[in-house]
Amino acid sequence: MITKNKLDDFAQELNQIRENTMAKVGQKDANYIRNIIRIQRVSEIGGRIALVLGFISPLWWIAGVLFLALAKILDNMEIGHNVMHGQYDWMNDPNINGRNFEWDIAGDADSWRRYHNHEHHTYTNVIGKDRDFGYGLLRLSDDIPWKPKNRLQVLVYLALSTFFEWGVAYHEVAGERIFIGKPRKNSTLPITRKALKNAFFSKAGRQLFKDYVFFPLLCWPMFFPVLLGNFLACILRNLWTSTIIFCGHFTEDVHTFQIEDCENESEGEWYYRQILGSSNIEGSRWFHILTGHLSCQVEHHLYPDVPARHYPEMAKEVQGVCKKYDIPYNTGSFGKQYLTVLQRVIKYSFPTKKEAVASL
Amino acid sequence: MNTTTSNTIQTMGLWLARNITNSSSFKAYFEPITQMFMPQWRADRFRSKLVSIRKESADMYTLIIKPNKNWTGFNAGQYLELTVEKEGAWISRFFSISSSPAYFQQSGLIEISIRIQEKGQITPWLPQALKAGSVLNISEAQGEFVLSPALKPTLMIAGGSGITPFRSMLQQIALKGLAINTPVTLMYYARSSEHFLFREELQQFEKQAPNLEVHFIDTDDVGFFSDAHLLGFCQDFKQRDIYICGPGPMILHARKVLKGQKANDDKIHYEFFGPEPVSLEASDKTVNVLFQRSDKQVSTDNTEPKNLLTLAEEASLKPVTGCRIGVCHQCICKKQSGVVYNSKTKTYSDTGQEEIQLCVSVPVADVVLAL
Repeated sequence: MITKNKLDDFAQELNQIRENTMAKVGQKDANYIRNIIRIQRVSEIGGRIALVLGFISPLWWIAGVLFLALAKILDNMEIGHNVMHGQYDWMNDPNINGRNFEWDIAGDADSWRRYHNHEHHTYTNVIGKDRDFGYGLLRLSDDIPWKPKNRLQVLVYLALSTFFEWGVAYHEVAGERIFIGKPRKNSTLPITRKALKNAFFSKAGRQLFKDYVFFPLLCWPMFFPVLLGNFLACILRNLWTSTIIFCGHFTEDVHTFQIEDCENESEGEWYYRQILGSSNIEGSRWFHILTGHLSCQVEHHLYPDVPARHYPEMAKEVQGVCKKYDIPYNTGSFGKQYLTVLQRVIKYSFPTKKEAVASL
Repeated sequence: MNTTTSNTIQTMGLWLARNITNSSSFKAYFEPITQMFMPQWRADRFRSKLVSIRKESADMYTLIIKPNKNWTGFNAGQYLELTVEKEGAWISRFFSISSSPAYFQQSGLIEISIRIQEKGQITPWLPQALKAGSVLNISEAQGEFVLSPALKPTLMIAGGSGITPFRSMLQQIALKGLAINTPVTLMYYARSSEHFLFREELQQFEKQAPNLEVHFIDTDDVGFFSDAHLLGFCQDFKQRDIYICGPGPMILHARKVLKGQKANDDKIHYEFFGPEPVSLEASDKTVNVLFQRSDKQVSTDNTEPKNLLTLAEEASLKPVTGCRIGVCHQCICKKQSGVVYNSKTKTYSDTGQEEIQLCVSVPVADVVLAL
């Protein structure tokens, strides 16, 4: 176990990496995010038009689905997620602002901002605190007692991945037990339960209206192809985002923590926990962009408000510092990391050793 | 098309934009695309061009601007928000328009006169970064500090660079041939003769408008606005509309003198040049924080620095909070004015409007928060 003093030095080195990067943030970052938004706009509009041109050839329709999925992925990952972390707040741009941004996904942005930035980023992989760990549906660690229903969790996992945006939308509503269960004790919800419920329905309704009513009706003779295309684009986006996010926290060697671990922790201990609780995926520049740079989950958890396009460069330095302090740094190819995620989902669907021993 | 129909269409457009683009408007949705053809274009601003920069004094310069043709015009004395891009960030500051609407009608140009704040990030930078043809974004003109439509007997009291809205008003009066029958007096205070801006021009206006009097008052010689000055330069002040513009302490002082002289309070108009002071009793040791929306003010001792989140909670406000270590950006709040020290990035803020994280911001100079 690394000493607290060592971790203080470690924190200083990580802070230095942050400072060096922040000194570089400026016009290039503004140009970059605007370019990504341009690509998103062109993909979205192009995709919607191509779907309608499906009557010429099904190839148009397929291209439409892919471009619309690309637009949604860029909107959710590289733009929405990063903007909502406040990475571009320094631009003072009302449309690229962490507090104003609304994304093309069923979940209300305000709700996500409340639970994600605080709950998930402060209590990363803390059992019982970070509900992103398994989303209350999956058992991904020994720390959670096995129940018979976990046998089917591979199916639950597939369903969650396919309809991931609804998981995102329902996350806070579930935590506050708005529809099912007794209201959460010690709730810190800053809005009323009714307001939360309304926001949930309002955002979900708007998304359903847009993709399954408005655009199909607008392209009337192509109503069903457009509706189906929109549906598939959403599913593709769901599968992609879910897969990337699972690779970020649920790979084989990712650690879990108890709430006591993060009480009165120093900056160094916080950094340490973030690194142990996250894992990276290696890939090309375009791969990183499509993941919203969540492929650099470690760096994202160390520096959530640094513009993400700097993560791959920072990753090299962070990895170097980790090596120096002999701290495990979890990275690997997409195939390798994802395989361990699947193994984890399967492994914990059965009673693991602890339980097996306990039940003897 | 009448206004109700066009309003309805506008509302429907915004509703549709919200529902099918998740943006606040279609203009905002397409903003990055539009910016490819018109750099620095903003959906919520008027994209305008800089014509030239004129040096007024060692620490003051004037930007001469050709506003966008859709810009809605202004009244003499109003201000606008100027927005420019600096290293990828939009920087906005409020400035008085120092030229007149009459001049705008003639030439299609407006002027804003800016004083260089030595430690500011913007005012010293602007004249270096901008050149003829540069893009400037301006807001609609705002402010109630304007002459009444039918000119009434008027007393104007200006302090230092607080002369700018008065230059606009007097230029308007001169160009429109007003103040022939209505008396207008300007008492213009500045520290030394070098700092009387627009001196020749104001003397020119004085010649053009028979009932206009301009008094240049050197505070180094005769001190600040006093009972003697008031009675000496404008005996009938009780019959006049009174306008005051200048630094905060000067305004508070002038109001006190006028009150002592039983001037009619309803007739006194004033505008703080720069951020409105939270309190005059600020010393080196204490810093005042004004929570604007909840109308609460607290003082804090500089020797025992506390972050704004703690101060807000001690004042029993309930700002949205999260991690409390500067990571989660939950407690972001708009700072209207003042200087804060960010304990995470170890940097000081500028004096103007910006978003700050309460949990890592320590007030350094009087702060006004939109909270």
